[in-house]
Amino acid sequence: MLRFAVFYRASIFACCLSIGSFAALAQSAKVEFDAAAVARGRTAFKSSCGFCHGDDATGNRAPDLIRAPDTSRDVNGNLLRPIIRNGRTDKGMPAFSTLPDTTVNDIIVFLHSQAYTALHSARVPNDYPVAKLLTGNAAEGKEYFNGPGGCSGCHSPTGDLAKVASRYKPVDLQQIFVYPAASRRRTATVTLPDGTKIEGAVKHADEFTVAIIGPDGWYHAWPLDQVQVEIHDSLSAHRALVEKYSDRDIHNLFAYLETLK
Amino acid sequence: MKLLLALAITIPVFAAENGLDPAAILKQPTDTWPTYNGDYSGRRFSPLDQINQANVNQLTLAWMAPMQSVAIKSTPLEVNGILYFTTPDNVWSMDARSGRVIWHYKRDSEGDHIGQRGVAMFRDWLYFETPDCHLISLNAKDGSVRWNIELADPKLGYFATMAPLVVGDHIVAGVSGDVTDVPGFLESLDPDTGKVQWRWDTEPKPGEPGSETWPQGSDAIAHGGGMTWMTGTYDPDLHLIYWGTGNPNPVLNGDIRKGDDLYTCSIVAIDPETGKLKWHYQPSPHDTHDWDAVETPVLFDDVQNGVHRKLLAQASRNGYFFVLDRSTGEHVLTAPFVPTNWSSGLDAKGQPRPMPQKEPKPDGVLVSPGSDGATNWMAPSFSPLTGLFYLNGRKVWSLFYMTADSKPEGWAGRDRNLWAESFIEAIDYQTGKIRWKHGIGDGESTSGILTTAGNLLFTADNEDNLLALDPATGKTLWHVCVGGRLVASPMTYQLDGRQYLLTPIQGIVLAWALPRPEKAAH
Repeated sequence: MLRFAVFYRASIFACCLSIGSFAALAQSAKVEFDAAAVARGRTAFKSSCGFCHGDDATGNRAPDLIRAPDTSRDVNGNLLRPIIRNGRTDKGMPAFSTLPDTTVNDIIVFLHSQAYTALHSARVPNDYPVAKLLTGNAAEGKEYFNGPGGCSGCHSPTGDLAKVASRYKPVDLQQIFVYPAASRRRTATVTLPDGTKIEGAVKHADEFTVAIIGPDGWYHAWPLDQVQVEIHDSLSAHRALVEKYSDRDIHNLFAYLETLK
Repeated sequence: MKLLLALAITIPVFAAENGLDPAAILKQPTDTWPTYNGDYSGRRFSPLDQINQANVNQLTLAWMAPMQSVAIKSTPLEVNGILYFTTPDNVWSMDARSGRVIWHYKRDSEGDHIGQRGVAMFRDWLYFETPDCHLISLNAKDGSVRWNIELADPKLGYFATMAPLVVGDHIVAGVSGDVTDVPGFLESLDPDTGKVQWRWDTEPKPGEPGSETWPQGSDAIAHGGGMTWMTGTYDPDLHLIYWGTGNPNPVLNGDIRKGDDLYTCSIVAIDPETGKLKWHYQPSPHDTHDWDAVETPVLFDDVQNGVHRKLLAQASRNGYFFVLDRSTGEHVLTAPFVPTNWSSGLDAKGQPRPMPQKEPKPDGVLVSPGSDGATNWMAPSFSPLTGLFYLNGRKVWSLFYMTADSKPEGWAGRDRNLWAESFIEAIDYQTGKIRWKHGIGDGESTSGILTTAGNLLFTADNEDNLLALDPATGKTLWHVCVGGRLVASPMTYQLDGRQYLLTPIQGIVLAWALPRPEKAAH
């Protein structure tokens, strides 16, 4: 019986692979912003700056301030504060000389928090909202589970999947029901030259060698040219399904599994 | 034995007495590996044949050098018996016959330390790119710094990993960085002063050809990405360099950059004297999956029905293999090398058109390949002996999420990997058909490929085995378990009549060779 377990995308592994996909800034230590200051800054920005720069500072009649060099290079307001205070009259930006210092500071914190969010957007957070994921039809998902998906051959909503939606964050649940990598188990049946069969969990298998933990608890290894080997993969059905799923199937199944609370 | 003696007295003719004469790179190296790819063609085919099918099973360790470093992803240069190789912030000079370190340069830097591909060499000088996007020229004799310039501001999100390309008196350097929406570019610098000779911007200026593939009247084109993070190739007869460009920005959301987004995810042919674009081809129009088209544009020639044609081939990260006429950029052939599910078919130019329904969505979309790609920076190879193109590929499934709630910026989402399996494939470039496929295990491999005139293909699997395969059939001829993965690409050179095969394994450099004849006599 398969067990679901959370499979975290191995982000270190991903970094090794996709040069050019992650920048240093995204890997830097997490920065905590003063939430109250960000909220005050957002309100102040909206009323004083949003008409031109957009309420979220991503640009409107005036430039996007989130992906702006002056924001990227700013340290504690050393670049942004003079611009706010003095304006850029040559470009049509008025000076905001009467705003209280604390409000200017809040606006700067807000801009940095917005830029930080964009910079760290190469992720799907574990607290990703379920509402975004619930686009499927639970009844159709149940039908797929019991019918064409063949899921009910191994899984039960009252057995291994009982309350599964309470056990996992929604976005994790969606990933692991499609492919529960952490639960993968492989066993091998090894037939020796004299016909003896030994079965056990695969410790290693490549094109030259198979190694298992035998029924005696010991590690056994053979060159592949001396034995016959049959490997059983607990996730072979999941792999086959991944090749067949439509996105609709996945969203319907997710909607169904999300009812199992 | 006669052969060995003859080779032993071969004089290193391709390297100048002091350092590396750039003209020497034009000749096929044997005692020298003077550029990232070994030569300008990007084939990673060596004419050396001392190690061959008849004796590969006698390969033995010539030397090993534990560098106590992070995994080595660079391809070393080898010039006048000295190796030069890198990790982020580090350059080593090493005796190519023994693995003994001659000098070590280290410079701590901020910025992304994801990888470093290697240095370039011009006469007595090395050129090294850094995580904070500097280009540093070092004296190859002692590792001292001659000059240090900033290619782009790391505070804006730029960093650098690639090995520059030397063409004549041009140091051609690219940049990395796609978590911020900054534009990509390629620069040519003076080898002696570091002064910029020309700059080619991935995005055209508004009004220029190609700008019509971006939304008009918005700032999208100024934030379009397209990094130039892999070493290009060069045809000295056509006097053109060929370069791949990376993904457009924002990465996983194309709503604010509707259109093909030239020249991101493209192969471009550029005049090395002026930086002017000669032609372009776009393997991934309007990419929304991080499928950089930076994989080595490999150059080889073809004669069919008496017609000689200069070709360029790329196995691209999006899962398709492309063959182009490198004189004109004219499309010759497109063929998938793995099953993919994101394209509605090829357009008139053979470019796979993306299906909107397979763009990342808030509720998740199942796509093959994932953002790590059906292949990536691992070196491909082309053997003129077999006429086959070799690549390290993978089937990789991922769920792609577009997470932005308002205007998408930066990545605006991510994919979550499901499962992957890797293989080495041989493609017949005339038909696009896969001649053979050799599985190398679950997960995503990052092992590059080298082919040689010894009728061998060197690479590694995902189970810590180095492999020598028969390039004609894919059959394994030799293997050894080395206790770690090859995350670089193998290279080879011959010194004193002895051919060395170099394979960095994690942080350890392993050199392989046949047993020494004099020792065999004892």
